[in-house]
Amino acid sequence: MSDEALTFEAAQKELEAIVDKLERGEAELEQLTALSQRGEELYRFCREKLDAAHGKIEELAKPEA
Amino acid sequence: MKVEPILYGDRKVYTVPAFSRGVAMWLGRLPPIWIEGEVTELRRNTAWARVFLTLKDPESGATLRVTMRRDRFDALELELEDGERVHVHGRAELYEARGELSFRAHTIERFGLGAHLAALERLKKKLAAEGLFAPERKRPLPFLPRRIGLVTGTEAAAKQDVLTTVTTRFPPARIVVAETPVQGARAAAGIVEALVRVSGLPEVDVIILTRGGGSFEDLLPFSDETVVRAVASCPVPVVSAVGHEQDVPLCDLAADVRASTPTAAGRLVVPDLAEVLQRLERARAGVERGARRTLETQEQRLVRAHDRLRRAPALAVERKHARLEATAGRLRALSPRATLGRGYAIVRARDAILRSAAAVSTGERVEVELADGGFGAVVE
Repeated sequence: MSDEALTFEAAQKELEAIVDKLERGEAELEQLTALSQRGEELYRFCREKLDAAHGKIEELAKPEA
Repeated sequence: MKVEPILYGDRKVYTVPAFSRGVAMWLGRLPPIWIEGEVTELRRNTAWARVFLTLKDPESGATLRVTMRRDRFDALELELEDGERVHVHGRAELYEARGELSFRAHTIERFGLGAHLAALERLKKKLAAEGLFAPERKRPLPFLPRRIGLVTGTEAAAKQDVLTTVTTRFPPARIVVAETPVQGARAAAGIVEALVRVSGLPEVDVIILTRGGGSFEDLLPFSDETVVRAVASCPVPVVSAVGHEQDVPLCDLAADVRASTPTAAGRLVVPDLAEVLQRLERARAGVERGARRTLETQEQRLVRAHDRLRRAPALAVERKHARLEATAGRLRALSPRATLGRGYAIVRARDAILRSAAAVSTGERVEVELADGGFGAVVE
């Protein structure tokens, strides 16, 4: 997925909005596949973000006095 | 003693006491002033005419020898202890025998928390008037910061509390730590500088500013105007966790969120990974379930539509029938039969209704129609 600007939070919200729409049965039949696909994409995006992030603690060098 | 140089040819040379005298005289022309500092090395001896103490600047550590007449000192009844902050009024003088600068005190006043508190209160009012603490300025914290800035002292506790909490709750967290002096003269400038540097780093979405507990004075840099302004103008949200629960340094008021402890601050900046994963998996399952539900809903809709479609022709005929009946009813109400019922008759000749007596001639055959039937007749 090429959503460079997408944040985890935005992706998660979009995913949950899709679920909401689907669960209310409001989606158009023609959209169904696209929505499911998008949902799966968003899930993978979020999942990758979590898996790819390796915890890291950096100490910033002190400025020259 | 006069300050007279010795002349060696055209070179003027002063003796040590003459030099000191000259400096002492010059110092003597300076006006009396107030000096603020911390009392250290207070020495009072009834055998001495003077009391000695060293006035120390708590931030830079710079010191100044202070002397005071013992009778004056005793009259103040201050019972000063080492470490107390004071204001000393007097003037500079030179201890000529050693060429050392000292400060001759006329009076000493204890400089207590009251003055600090008053100054702090004034600053708080001023900054509040500018709107720096206004609730509408507060920004929400990011749900999942890409990087977390941590501005903290070199002392381990607060820093370690934040790091432990954040990494336990959310192991993938990325944290960048900027250490800075958090008390003393260079603290305020150091904190401001660290805030600016960390907030300027790429992907830093939130900053924690923290320091463990300390005395009122230890926490003063966190109420420094430059620090408060730096927190308020920080381009990313700031969580402030300074001192203990009951301490409210001004930077806490300017921060977007105030945390009671470094641990609480750590909990605020990252979500619980387990919860995030659970929520994500739930959503994923929801996509499938939702898609199925959508299909079912659409199918039901289709079935209902089809059902209505099938019933539609019969329904339409029924409606038309009913409408026909209604029309017939109205037609009947208007028909001449009702009039005939009241005793009138319609007379036709040559299949046309007779409207004038002149239209028939004697011997012509006509048809007479009554309510219940008709008969033929001949005109006479």
